Amino acid sequence: MVTAGKDADLPPLGRAPLLALGFVALVFGVLGGLWRLGWAPPLPGTEPATFHGALMAAAFFGTVIGLERAAAYGRWPAYLGPLCAGVGGVATAWGAPHIFSASLLVGASAVLAAVTFAFHRRQPAPHLLLLLVGALCGVAGNLLWLAGFPASEVMGAWAGFLVLTIVGERLELSRLRRPSAGALKLLAVSTVLYLVGAVALPLHWKTGTAVIGVAMVGLALWLSFNDIARRNLRHHGLMRFTAVCLVGGYAWLGLGGLLLPFAAPAGPLYDAALHAVFLGFVFAMVFGHAPIIFPAVLRVAVPYTPLFYAHVALLNATLAVRIAGDLLDRVAWRAWGGMGNAVALALFLLMTVGSVIRARRPAAA
Amino acid sequence: MSSSLPGVEQVLAALRRVADPEAGVDVVALGLIYGVDIGDHGIRIAMTTTSPACPTGSLMLEEARAAVATLVPATVPVEVVRVWEPPWEPDRMSADAKKKLGW
Repeated sequence: MVTAGKDADLPPLGRAPLLALGFVALVFGVLGGLWRLGWAPPLPGTEPATFHGALMAAAFFGTVIGLERAAAYGRWPAYLGPLCAGVGGVATAWGAPHIFSASLLVGASAVLAAVTFAFHRRQPAPHLLLLLVGALCGVAGNLLWLAGFPASEVMGAWAGFLVLTIVGERLELSRLRRPSAGALKLLAVSTVLYLVGAVALPLHWKTGTAVIGVAMVGLALWLSFNDIARRNLRHHGLMRFTAVCLVGGYAWLGLGGLLLPFAAPAGPLYDAALHAVFLGFVFAMVFGHAPIIFPAVLRVAVPYTPLFYAHVALLNATLAVRIAGDLLDRVAWRAWGGMGNAVALALFLLMTVGSVIRARRPAAA
Repeated sequence: MSSSLPGVEQVLAALRRVADPEAGVDVVALGLIYGVDIGDHGIRIAMTTTSPACPTGSLMLEEARAAVATLVPATVPVEVVRVWEPPWEPDRMSADAKKKLGW
């Protein structure tokens, strides 16, 4: 037996429905995103398009990050977080009353923050503190959303939830390489700047985006030079695949940070800056870690295959087309790039499920 | 029962087959094994993880148990106990692991 905790954990089979709820939010979020780009996907109403940001950042990522953290915590109450995020996502897509769906998202982020706080209390460490700050950004973003702030003003907190959570996770691994005191200072300054920018954003757009943009560039530089990913490019197989995803993601984060200060609260530059971060950086992290995290959360093997590079390459190429369309004001490029992004996400899901099925099939004699 | 049990070195050799998927370094070289106790009760391993917040740690604990279980008949209990004290520090890594990671 493996002894990990006193209270009951949710068995992996019970975690799968929670993940499925998150994927409902993802599907409607992506369809809503396509609708915003001028496509006409089948939708139950206008909500998935109107609430695209909440579905993607708060509901989908609230579910998957909540699930990841709950599986590490190993006690059933922690799964109330991803449950709330998943149900909140479905409620958002189906046009349930805002107070209901947004309160569920707030509840989800509060559970995540509580679980992360418990980790930090158990073993105080800078990377756990950063994960806690990321989780609190999620709470702040969802509270602003509940209070009726527009997505463009909540975006700083929602992006902070994801960006700082990822940086916290990478800081944990970077300890294996002993980051220098100077590097840790850059990380601390960039994090504080990010928080200042996220607070400023709802008050003064230009100041908020400028400060967040600088902070994102700082974080991208820190990740590029201190993460073990760059070193892992020399390895083979899964280690190199994960490293390729991450290193590419850091470049997109830097580009997002460079573009954000020039963006208005809507329009092409807004689309370019946000999707450089959310698709280029955050989804690169998802792609790179899926073969590691799926087995840990669901106890299913996701054997690496070089075919995984297909969805990574497609996402990067179509994101480049989309952002080029944004910068050159080519509406068709933006629309087709966005469609390519959606196809890349679908291909990722197919590749992952295909890999799980392949692993379960008995080996040929 | 003791005569059929493996020695500490054999247990550690089995544990070296379990690696952190992203660091590419095994759990012994990472310094995650805090103790190996072999006796009439079976095999008991005290193991930590690099962070309490990552679910991969729980999976590595299960993999460690499975790796050691291959050394003994199914009737011999193998237990991996997760410990938090003292907290894992990078200095716990072996000299080879540090070199591999670019120290």
